[in-house]
Amino acid sequence: MTKPNQQHKEWGTSYGEMVWHEFTRSKFVVIWLGFIILLFLLAIFAPFLANDKPFVIKIDGRQHYPIFRNLNAADYSIFLAATVGLIQILLICRNHRRIDPSIRSSVLWRQVFIDTLIIIIGITLLYVFTPRRLDATDYKSMVASGKASGAVFAPVPYGYGRTDLKVREQPPNKQHWLGTDDVGSDVLCRLIHGSRISLSVGFVAVGISSIIGIIIGAILGYSGGKADFFGMRLVEIMMAVPVFFLIITIVAFFPRSLFNIMLIIGLTTWTEDARFVRAEFLKLRRQDFVQAAVSLGLPLRSILFGHMLPNAIAPVLVNATFGIAGAIFIEAALSFLGFGVAPPTPSWGQMLSLGVSTTGRFLWWLTLFPGLAIFFTVLAYNLVGEALRDAIDPRLRKAV
Amino acid sequence: MIPTLLGITIVVFAISRMAPGDPVSLAMGPGGMMDAQRAADVRATRMRLYGLDKPVHVQYATWLWRVVRLDFGDSIKHHREVIDLIKERLPITLTLNIISFVIIYAVSIPMGILSAVGRKKFLDRASSVMLLMLWSLPSMWVGQMLIGYLCGPPINWFPPAGLSSNYAEQLAFFPWLADRLWHLVLPIVCLTYAGFAYLTKQVRAGMLDNLRADYVRTARAKGLSNWAVIFRHAFRNSIIPVITIMATLLPAMFGGSVIIERIFSVSGMGLLAFEAVTTRDYNVVMGVATIAGFLNLVGLLLADIAYAIVDPRISFESAE
Amino acid sequence: MSENGALLSIKGLSVSFFTEEGVVKAVQEVSFSIKKGETFALVGESGCGKSVTALSIMRLVPEPPGEIVGGKIMFGGQDLLELSERQMRNIRGNRIAMIFQEPMTSLNPVYTVGSQIAEAVGLHQKKGQSEADAKTVEMLRKVGIGDAEKRANDYPHQMSGGMQQRIMIAMAVSCEPQLLIADEPTTALDVTIQAQILDLLDVLQEQSGMSILLITHNLGIVAERADDVAVMYASRIVEVAESRSLFAEPLHPYTQGLLKSLPRLGFSGRRLPTIAGIVPEPLHFPSGCKFHPRCPIGCNDKKCRNIEPRLKEVRPSRWVACWYAPGYEKD
Repeated sequence: MTKPNQQHKEWGTSYGEMVWHEFTRSKFVVIWLGFIILLFLLAIFAPFLANDKPFVIKIDGRQHYPIFRNLNAADYSIFLAATVGLIQILLICRNHRRIDPSIRSSVLWRQVFIDTLIIIIGITLLYVFTPRRLDATDYKSMVASGKASGAVFAPVPYGYGRTDLKVREQPPNKQHWLGTDDVGSDVLCRLIHGSRISLSVGFVAVGISSIIGIIIGAILGYSGGKADFFGMRLVEIMMAVPVFFLIITIVAFFPRSLFNIMLIIGLTTWTEDARFVRAEFLKLRRQDFVQAAVSLGLPLRSILFGHMLPNAIAPVLVNATFGIAGAIFIEAALSFLGFGVAPPTPSWGQMLSLGVSTTGRFLWWLTLFPGLAIFFTVLAYNLVGEALRDAIDPRLRKAV
Repeated sequence: MIPTLLGITIVVFAISRMAPGDPVSLAMGPGGMMDAQRAADVRATRMRLYGLDKPVHVQYATWLWRVVRLDFGDSIKHHREVIDLIKERLPITLTLNIISFVIIYAVSIPMGILSAVGRKKFLDRASSVMLLMLWSLPSMWVGQMLIGYLCGPPINWFPPAGLSSNYAEQLAFFPWLADRLWHLVLPIVCLTYAGFAYLTKQVRAGMLDNLRADYVRTARAKGLSNWAVIFRHAFRNSIIPVITIMATLLPAMFGGSVIIERIFSVSGMGLLAFEAVTTRDYNVVMGVATIAGFLNLVGLLLADIAYAIVDPRISFESAE
Repeated sequence: MSENGALLSIKGLSVSFFTEEGVVKAVQEVSFSIKKGETFALVGESGCGKSVTALSIMRLVPEPPGEIVGGKIMFGGQDLLELSERQMRNIRGNRIAMIFQEPMTSLNPVYTVGSQIAEAVGLHQKKGQSEADAKTVEMLRKVGIGDAEKRANDYPHQMSGGMQQRIMIAMAVSCEPQLLIADEPTTALDVTIQAQILDLLDVLQEQSGMSILLITHNLGIVAERADDVAVMYASRIVEVAESRSLFAEPLHPYTQGLLKSLPRLGFSGRRLPTIAGIVPEPLHFPSGCKFHPRCPIGCNDKKCRNIEPRLKEVRPSRWVACWYAPGYEKD
């Protein structure tokens, strides 16, 4: 029981915490969440796990640190994004309870907005200012011929750009634990680096589609009436167009780049989110607290995003998790068909397409391992998404 | 429905025009052999020939007018009319998809009901996870694994490609049919497992929800047998959302067709689309996209009608 | 409880729910009898177990979490808890019928109301299609629905709450049950409709001589319509009496508190009395008498805190479960 003028240091459990508790009750789900985190770590530290350059090497008496010197803009971008994300999560965990519940969501929005801004600006700066280094030194032969010493290589000592036609299409052996592909690149190395492509496509595409979906859904749901009617016709057009075929068409006609793929997937898969948000908003705008906010003269932006959206966000989050799985799958399918990222950039789908060689041989290691990678990643996100949905829903049912 | 159809045509047209480069330049190539003036002349002539020198909306209008009469122009690659190509390939894709569709519904509905009715805690979670696993399997991986392991030596259970064996033409009807079916098995397996997983989950979830509903309690209070309660009451309500799923399943299956037809070398619309996109065969691309969009709309409409029939709360007017 | 003239006799009924958070003892040692042709009210706050008791009579308690762990329900010379499911189905809707609180969700939205009534008729009375339809129309007229033939083809969502409840009643009494269980039949309806529905029940009762088990938390309805009353608190019956006697002289502190907190005409200017505290959570029932933390007597009494008083007949047809009720501590 609270007395009127008492200042609270901490409020009780929040909605997010309740969902988290319900979510983590199942050990099975937590394991898969751990797997996702593992994938993240793999993607973040890929250049340190699989690289044909050593960490440290002594040439002519001087210490060199090739891996670190050769980190490129993409690597730094990923480090930046990961760090920002980690800091944000830590901030949430520590401060969540201490913030007044009525402003919690707007604080969160502001933080997320700032994070995204930092990431975008940071990535742009990184790409502009990081020098492109092309280090073609063959460190391995230097070590082999004795010119260098004290070399410490990465666990998987192969890079994804190198081709070595002498060892092409080899099944798993001691040198290449998962075999090699059609140009001699090590499969394990490409799998590790490929996780970056998959995960970044997943997140960026879903980010784009969620934002579009939320905005359109909010506008349609809030306006109702004529605007809603016409808007829904447009959404229906988007839904009726065969999405995958549309993606293929666009991707084929435009220059192949990772960003294009992310953008296109994002631009074509927002309809689900829009429908969810619109449905919730249609329900919410009749509710008293919204009418109260309107009558108080609050600006539209504040009503939509500060009051209504926090209530409508749950299905969007669930859908986003499934969306990541879907985006990863689409990227893999595109690469498999030859429309995705171009080699040498590694992509699980592209590796899968090499499973049957040009001569018709069945190269099982090029089918099994990339396929397993795609399967487990998609499965992990689907399981987590479903657990999230169960955590959000029955919580409401139990309270009844 | 008409406005949506128009919208589809606009989208298709816009995309093909938005792409960098135009058909003429692509067809002409870098053109290092002609001098600049002659190249420009040839280009201008060709543009006029294809009507590409007119403003966009005029181009769209002319295209639309032809489309309405099912004239999609000629395929650059095959040198035949697009509509003929589509007429050839469409039945195959439709057959594949319709068979898959029927199988999915025929299997998922009983499975969904069964899994909702037989309620053991552990079986619940386990089947839920297994269905999710099925749903997460990438279709190209499944296809390629099936081909790799079941089609080559030494097993040779199924043929790896095509819809008929080479000697099929010489067979009588029933052996020909059997041969056809034998070829269809693997592609259909690949097309159905995902939809099956999804639909079973939906049916199960719907049944679980409905079995908990008040009106089921009333039905039991009337003294109805368990069977009657499940089928006449709970199930009848559960199929309503399942029908709306039809609307999302159809476009998804077309997308899946592209991959499956590519893997199994089946000459359907999917493969046609894939080849057309790869070779920048604009007319074919637009033709396929329009027809596919149209078919999707038909599917949506059917789903809407079915929905209105099954749920008395929806009247035909509000179905649109 | 004497079984003479008793249509339904519940003895020591106990129902528990086995959930992930623990065992919820929803109903404990509940006993009361319903006579032929009377209206018996079961009163209590939300969550006290009255609905579960009603469902137990019909054996409709959801079996996975719930289980009837003890007691007897005597009806027509048989213990309902011993019957097979098949025999029970014969009784449901036929000799004992039930109507529920939310008529909108209690009717199947995809079938016409006529077909739902005809379903009950056809099931128990083995009538053919046309006979069942005729009976349906007759029942609709009986419950006061005008234009019955047309209305029979309507869907539930096309009707108002009051009409839906009439449909429920028509369904329930179509097979002339000996006992009608009405679980808060009017709680979801407007006050004026409430009166109509209760009047309808009265009329039907007079015509058929059926008994009604009326479950409610509205003491006003109890005073108007009930012959006998049982008061439930936290899974137990705390007092049973004739309706008039209960209101004239409530013996249990809980009943006394309830009656005191009713607003009355002419009672102005002062604060409305309440019962201090809140209803206990089923997973954490207090020891001893479940009411003792809120009882003016019991909160300070050692016996009330430690030992649970059982329901005893302290006067003819007067039952209480309280150590300090007059006449309780005779032996």
